[in-house]
Amino acid sequence: MNRILPLLLTLLGLILFGQGAYIHAKALLAQVLLERAFNTTIATGRPTKPWSWADTWPVARIEVKRLHARVIVLSGSSGQALAFGPGHVELTPNAGERGVAVYSAHRDTHFAFLKDVGVGDEIDIVRNDGRAFRYRADATSVARFDASGIDPLADGHELVLSTCWPFDALTPGADRYLLHATMIEPGS
Amino acid sequence: MTMSDEIETDSRTRLAGLVRLVLFMVMQGLAVILVGFAALFLSFEPVWSAAGQPAAFLKASDARSGSLLLKTEDGFADASRLGIDVDLTVSGPTVRARVTQIFRNPTQNWVEAVYVYPLPSGGAVDTLKMVIGDRVVVGDIKERQQAKAIYEHAKQNGQKAALTEQERPNIFTNSVANIGPGETVLVQIEYQEPVQQTGNEFSLRVPMVVAPRYNPVPVVQSVDFKADGGGWGAVKSDSVPDRERISSEVLDPATNTPVNPTTITVHLQAGFPLGEVKSHHHPIQTEKADASTSIIRLAEGAVPANRDFELSWKPAAETAPSVGLFREHVGDADYLLAFVTPPSVEQAQQKPPAREVIFVIDNSGSMGGVSIIQAKASLIYALGRLQPGDRFNVIRFDHTMDVLFPTPVPADAAHLGQATSFVGALQANGGTEMVPAMRAALSDSSNDANYVRQVVFLTDGAIGNEQQLFETISALRGRSRVFMVGIGSAPNTYLMTRAAELGRGTFTHIGSVEQVEERMRGLFSKLENPAVTNLTARFFEATADITPAAIPDVYRDEPLVLAAKLDKLAGSVEIKGRIGDRPWIVTLPLANAAEGKGLSKLWARRKIADAEVARTTQQISPEDADKAILALALGHQLVTRLTSLVAVDKTPSRPEGEPLRLSDLPINLPAGWDFARVFGERPQLPAPPTKRRADNGAAKVQVATLKRVQPAVVQAPATVMLPKTATDAELKLIAGSILLMLSLVLFVYKRRQLFMR
Repeated sequence: MNRILPLLLTLLGLILFGQGAYIHAKALLAQVLLERAFNTTIATGRPTKPWSWADTWPVARIEVKRLHARVIVLSGSSGQALAFGPGHVELTPNAGERGVAVYSAHRDTHFAFLKDVGVGDEIDIVRNDGRAFRYRADATSVARFDASGIDPLADGHELVLSTCWPFDALTPGADRYLLHATMIEPGS
Repeated sequence: MTMSDEIETDSRTRLAGLVRLVLFMVMQGLAVILVGFAALFLSFEPVWSAAGQPAAFLKASDARSGSLLLKTEDGFADASRLGIDVDLTVSGPTVRARVTQIFRNPTQNWVEAVYVYPLPSGGAVDTLKMVIGDRVVVGDIKERQQAKAIYEHAKQNGQKAALTEQERPNIFTNSVANIGPGETVLVQIEYQEPVQQTGNEFSLRVPMVVAPRYNPVPVVQSVDFKADGGGWGAVKSDSVPDRERISSEVLDPATNTPVNPTTITVHLQAGFPLGEVKSHHHPIQTEKADASTSIIRLAEGAVPANRDFELSWKPAAETAPSVGLFREHVGDADYLLAFVTPPSVEQAQQKPPAREVIFVIDNSGSMGGVSIIQAKASLIYALGRLQPGDRFNVIRFDHTMDVLFPTPVPADAAHLGQATSFVGALQANGGTEMVPAMRAALSDSSNDANYVRQVVFLTDGAIGNEQQLFETISALRGRSRVFMVGIGSAPNTYLMTRAAELGRGTFTHIGSVEQVEERMRGLFSKLENPAVTNLTARFFEATADITPAAIPDVYRDEPLVLAAKLDKLAGSVEIKGRIGDRPWIVTLPLANAAEGKGLSKLWARRKIADAEVARTTQQISPEDADKAILALALGHQLVTRLTSLVAVDKTPSRPEGEPLRLSDLPINLPAGWDFARVFGERPQLPAPPTKRRADNGAAKVQVATLKRVQPAVVQAPATVMLPKTATDAELKLIAGSILLMLSLVLFVYKRRQLFMR
């Protein structure tokens, strides 16, 4: 018994640790493949899947130059898509279109940099048709996931990046951190 | 033992002791580090609550239906509403509503006000007339940006103006500028909506109260933008914070009459012999004006506006589909509305035809979570509804595809059992290749005319190549009918509706597991009872622009509405179809069409909807779609996404000082309203200047700081649901490392023990 217990603990520890590490590894590796697929999409003009059995495809790249953060956004926001990158929440318009575009990602993988984004920072978004838009962050807030108060059909060109709140919690909760940004018109 | 042995044993013991000590220290150190890490990551403090943060987004704040909210320094004041009259005219499938309301500004300031009125679904505002104080304001349709510019300009100049915009498909807002202290505001709007029909019952509803469970409720907020122009601010939700502080020296006629007295009159011309006419919440009295028109009034005269008014009527039973025909002459064209209602009596004499049903279920990764559960539940329910004489097959697809049986098999117990266990075992994983699955479902190898062929497609529609799917359906449909079942909270409804149209089927949306049974039952009553199929319409002697261009099949509980613009009202229209397997033809001489109202607008509204659909499915570019919509909206005077009503002071010239007369009003006051009582009573205030003078210190000038009030529909989920965005990676990493440390400690101690022995 004395011999089995430490072995068991080791095994359990390795499994748990491995699972945790796997999630991070998946997130990192997926972004590499997504970056390639995204560049191909822009170059050829056809939606390209990052790997053949993927159920989603890259739709945009979000970049915050000040923090050297860049991520490729996937279409849809199901759990499967979010494991690989930020998701574009359904029924919200694309970046650059009128209304509020909403992108969501995990707070511990792809949107971990969000806590360092402050009001006034610039966020660059490149769509998969090649067009680029620049947004300026102007507000942050916390809301419940089902009471976000975001109306996707609002006037103006706006952006919301959302992730779980608080950033340093270990268990998932009902609150979301919302970073709101408004498009900077070219020439203004 | 020898001496050397003793010495050796001594040094070995000392070494062992040293090692033990060092190891112990290391273990201590590691444990401290581990606890430190844990403390860093685990947050034991209560989670930051959102209460500390300003709610940057919308918050619900109720407003009465048709409220006039006056922006003052202290917040929002509700203008006193003195009366409402609603006059509805039902012509066949359209309802034209004229709502007249009077308000008074009880404050001592010049204000800008916002008037919000919820629209029933499918409604469109086309007329706005206001009397503000003694100025007359009548609205014109203009392109949206242009209308806004005109309104702002008039507002700056101190002129009375009003702007009506469609903020959301079901809400219109009306901004009114420069209302003087104590002035009376008379608002009359007219809107048009289609009659609601479920099965055999037609109904209409007039929203009168705040009751989220009845109707979309307009939500009006006041937003105070911060002075730094950041564009983001706090929301005031309470609409009347200090009513007591607004001293009201105005004589309020309402003290003598019921609060918000509302009179309702309905002129009902259903277009078919009426059966039962029922009002759900108010007692009514009905009188027959002539054979085809009934006039319905409230039995109690004026009622307080505390409940929605809902009226429904049924046709007398018929055994064949009844077709209604209405016409209207507008401008230089004639508009026709043909209305086909499925038979109310089932063809029970005929045995329902045997069906061949192909079920296609999407089990791609995007269906993961709740969606696949709903889809599986729907499909298993559907399998249970098959009759012994039917044939069926099941296809599942992600980026691969599996067909359960090589050819459709009879729906007997053995095959159904196989199918049920096949469906039960499905997991959501993989990509979404919808086109091969659709192709497989539509391939009709047997082509057996004895069976009605139906394809039931369960998916969330999360694909990027919708156009390809549409082309596949159009090309390969053959005699099959494609029924789309949209699964999940956000299925791709454009894809679904268009695919169902092209497939000559219907679209059912299932948003939660609770809805599965009810919606699938509804779908099955359509699948099992095809009413009229293969519909075509032909006009003799007139050239017609018909919408919808491809007439869908008419299923149970769904009416077919056909709108057409004709160059002349002559000849007849022939509608052909099949009921079951019997051909059916009906020819309607257009001369027999009943006079209808608002048909041109209905036609225009549908053409606009067609243009929107064509734009989404990329048959035409967004610019072309916008051009078409703008042309239709301006031509038919409809408020749409791209057009608004703007009205600037149009007072007829009148000598200075002469009061407003009844004849000056652009509207007829509703029956029972006394002009003298409405406009004669003036508050004991100094005569308000006719135009606001911006630099006059005497009159307190209230510059309206309200920029844009954002209403939202409370009932429909206008806010976006945010997905779960936290993994348990950190938790697992920490737990894993703790366990590893623990086992390492145990290992070391064990070895120490062994070492000691």
